[in-house]
Order: sequence, then C-alpha cells, then structure tokens
Amino acid sequence: MRIGIVCPYSFDIPGGVQFHVRDLAEILRARGHTVSVLAPADESTTLPDYVVSAGRAVPVSYNGSVARLNFGLMTNAKVTAWLDRGRFDLVHIHEPITPSIGALALWAADCPIVATFHTSNLRSRAMQVSYPFFRASLEKILGRIAVSEDARRTVTTHFGGDAVVIPNGVYVDRFASAQLRPQWQGQPGRPTIAFLGRMGEPRKGMPVLAAALPRVLAQMPGLRLLVAGPGNADEVRASMTPEVASATEFLGSVDDADKATLLRSVDVYVAPNTGGESFGIILIEAMSAGAAVLASDIPAFVRVLDGGAAGATFANEDSDDLAQALIRLLGDDTERARVAAAGRARAEVFDWSVVADEITLVYETVLEGAAAARTMPGQGVLGRLRRSGKGMP
Amino acid sequence: MSEPNVLALVVLVLVAIGWYLSYSAARLDRLHARVQGTLAALDAQLVRRAEATLELANSGVLDAASALMLASAASDSLSAAEDEDTDADQQRFSHDREGVESRLSEALGLALSADALATVSEAGGFGDDIVSRVRATGLRVQLARRFHNDAVTDVRGVRRKWIVRWFRLAGHADMPQTVEFVDALPHGLRG
Repeated sequence: MRIGIVCPYSFDIPGGVQFHVRDLAEILRARGHTVSVLAPADESTTLPDYVVSAGRAVPVSYNGSVARLNFGLMTNAKVTAWLDRGRFDLVHIHEPITPSIGALALWAADCPIVATFHTSNLRSRAMQVSYPFFRASLEKILGRIAVSEDARRTVTTHFGGDAVVIPNGVYVDRFASAQLRPQWQGQPGRPTIAFLGRMGEPRKGMPVLAAALPRVLAQMPGLRLLVAGPGNADEVRASMTPEVASATEFLGSVDDADKATLLRSVDVYVAPNTGGESFGIILIEAMSAGAAVLASDIPAFVRVLDGGAAGATFANEDSDDLAQALIRLLGDDTERARVAAAGRARAEVFDWSVVADEITLVYETVLEGAAAARTMPGQGVLGRLRRSGKGMP
Repeated sequence: MSEPNVLALVVLVLVAIGWYLSYSAARLDRLHARVQGTLAALDAQLVRRAEATLELANSGVLDAASALMLASAASDSLSAAEDEDTDADQQRFSHDREGVESRLSEALGLALSADALATVSEAGGFGDDIVSRVRATGLRVQLARRFHNDAVTDVRGVRRKWIVRWFRLAGHADMPQTVEFVDALPHGLRG
C-alpha cells in the first residue's frame, strides 16, 4: 500500500502524537508498505528519510493557548505537491481538526482518508466542527480512529457517528529487554520507586506522592524515590519534608534508553497523576518493563490497567491511600511479582504488532468501501432535476 | 433602481442559487456513493464471516450440537445476503437481515465459550487457524458497520438542510438508515 501520514505537530519537539506517527510509519515500512510522513520541521532539523517537511510551524495565539501551526498559500502548495508526488492509496491524517496541515490535506486529498483523533479537548472541537465549510471536508473522512475512550466521546459528541478506539502503541520488547542498572535496583531493605514526568506540574501528582512518603518512610526508612523528567529539582525538593527530600534522587531528563532502564530496574512505578490524562502510555511502558504499577484511579489509568487487574490503584489525590497501597506493595514480594506479571501480560495488548494490525484492518475496510463507492453511478444535478420533475427557480 | 440593474441583480441571485444547488447536489452524490460503498463493504464482510463460521462448523473441532447451531446461523446469514436487493439505489439492510446477523453473533458467542476455546487451542493447528479466521472476520464486520453508520450519519446531516429538502436534491434515493445488529466478538476472542 502507498500510505501518506500527516502529523500537524513539529518533529523538532517531542510529543505523544509525533512519537505515535514515527512508530506507526516505521512499523508499516517494516511490513513492506510505502510510507511518507508530512510534518512541520525547522530547516535545520535532520529528519528520517520518510519524513517530508511542511516548513516551519509558526506560534500563533489560538483557542486560548499558543499553538504552533502551519498555514498560508506556501504551506498549501507544499501539501498539494506532497499529495501529487505521493500518489497515495490512502492518506491517514492525525488531529485533522487543527488549522494546520491536517486541515489542508483533508481539503486537498481526493483519495480515501482515515483520521485519528488524539486529544479530548472539548472546547476547540465544538467550535471548529460547526464551521459549515469545514464540515463538508470532514465528510471525506471514511474511517475515524480515537486513541482513547475520552477522545472517542469527544468525536461522537461533535460529529455524530462513532470512532474505533485503537490505543497508542508501545514497542514492548524494547522495555522488556532493557538493560538493568544496579544503582537503580532495589536491595533488601532499600526498595526503589520511580516517578516520571514534569515534576513541577501539579496535575502530574508529585505533591500527592511527596505527602504520602513520610508515612511510608516511617515503616521503610531505606526507601529510595528516583525522579526522572524535566523541571526545577530545587523547587520540588524545597516543597518536600527533609526526610522525603533526602530519600529522593533527581535524575533530570532521561533519554529513551535510560527511561526503559529505569522502569526495568525499579520495584514500583508510581503514577500519581490527578487528571487531564486521556491515555497513559507511560503506564504501558512501565508494565512492559516489568515494574509493578501503582496508579491513581483516574478513568484513563483504570482502563489501561484493565479495571485494576494489571496494576494496583489508589484513590486519586488521596495521599493516605497512596501510602497504604505503597507499603502493601513494597512489603509483599509475592504480591508485587504477581502485579508485575499481570502488567507484563496486559502490555501485550498495546504492543505495536497488535496496534499496527488493527490500524491496517481499518485501512483495508476503508479501501474496500471506497472501491465499491467508485463503481456507483452519480446522478449529477441535471439528472436529479429530470427525475424529480422540479425546475430551477 | 433602474430596470437593467434589477435584472442584473436577479440574474446574479439566480446564478448564485444555481451554483449552490449544483454544489450541494455534488456533495450529496459523493455522500450517497460513500454510503453505498460502505454498505457493499459491510455486505461482503458479513458474507466472509458467515463463510468462516460455516467452515468452523464443518471442521470437526467443535461438538456436534455447537456445530449444528453455527451452521444453521451461518446459512441463514448467507441466504439473507443472497436475498438482499442489489439495486444501486439501495441504502439500507432489511430488519430481517439485522436479526439474522445478531443471531449469528450470539451463536458464535455461545459456541466459542471459554471452555470450547481452551479445547481448540489445546488441540492446536487447524482449529486455531479457523478460530482466528472467525475472529478476524468478526473484527472486520465491526469496522465495516461502524464506518457505514458514520457515512449514514453524514448523509442524514446534509439531507436535513432546507436547500436539499426544498429542491429535492436527494431525488428518489431512500433516506439511508444505520445498520444495527449485535456484532460483539465472543468474550474469549476480545483483545
């Protein structure tokens, strides 16, 4: 198959959608498809050879925040040229409802289109879907994919109809076979737990974890918390009690390999996020690596954890409950091993091999419908007027 | 306003209305073709699912009663597909067909219980192949039905517009209906 993929977010900046598009393009190529990705990028950025740059994205104040967008006649010409050169059997547009190359490709493409909806931002959807001229081009989408139940609900509310839920993929093996690092591994009496993400952002839940730890340290004084991710370590340390601060090691931002190593080495991965997550790919990465997962019981996480069967959960924003759950999990080796094994099995559902199969199935179903539609005769305006016997005014 | 100006204005309005009519008609044509395409695709997937089910029934990997139940449900589905009106204007399935397909899904759910699946996978080989083929066809039915219903929702949205109703731009084409039947996979085959 010749597949064109449109990613509206810049490949210069790391982000969930960009990673998803990159991984999808790579596995489709590995399976013998011809794939070209159109994405914004700075001129100086070196791109994989299957990525075509749509030019530099411009920061614009849009819909209540600053978004980096591509628009204008030059961009439009680039999108059209990419479509012409690609002669795609199918174009797969990610986040088609951003005023960027997704919308331009949707407008210009005349081959079958599949769209994936990643975010569940209600406000922007409600606004844009109501534009009549845009509505007509949305009708060209023959198959809709949502990456989570939340994203799906947003799509169905504003479009009517439905969307197929296909989660983000993870290369399970890369995490399962990551290197172990002895200094991050737990020792008897000195277990290790990990926190990943922007620690300064309250909704990532560091305050909840920091408030829970004094109780845990009272029972397990040897506990070590390893924190990886961007943010100001001094500020976070200052907000902790002295005992918690001295049990915490800040690793700063880590690369993909170190992230996998960290998740594979620690005893428990804690995800205390308080909300605003539509999916939770990091949980799947931790499960793949074989860490026991302890997460807040927000809906997205509970779904990823298969209702709580593939990981332990605690009441969201409840530090006491988190402390109890952590003590239980760290104090019981058998239970921890059971949770880790259940998580490892659950992660397989999200492996790219499975996810790519599901996406390919969508492509095939859409192409079959489109092929059948091409054989149907159109009426044209004149034929219709003749048949209905009504003239023009 | 002088007479030529009024005339020019009238002509301009008529041209604008004419353009919008032809644009709306083309849009509707595209949508109707899309619905017919997705319905044809769904029809094809249903036939494949019934054929795979029949193969499973005849394979000997299930007990005779389950096999008989599946064979009967699958044959009903195949004959419903044959009876289906293949007129190009057709935009919907009959209610009978929806019932038949629901019953086939239910029969598969009953026959492929957790116990039955465990037995099949213990035996391995051929049985596994045919069960995974049944699963794959079931998944395709789910997708095809969903994409068809999305297309129907889009057409119905456009056909509600006043210009389409006043000028009868939809011609004699039936109002498309969503296709509703139970298409859940057997519990043990869900991802």
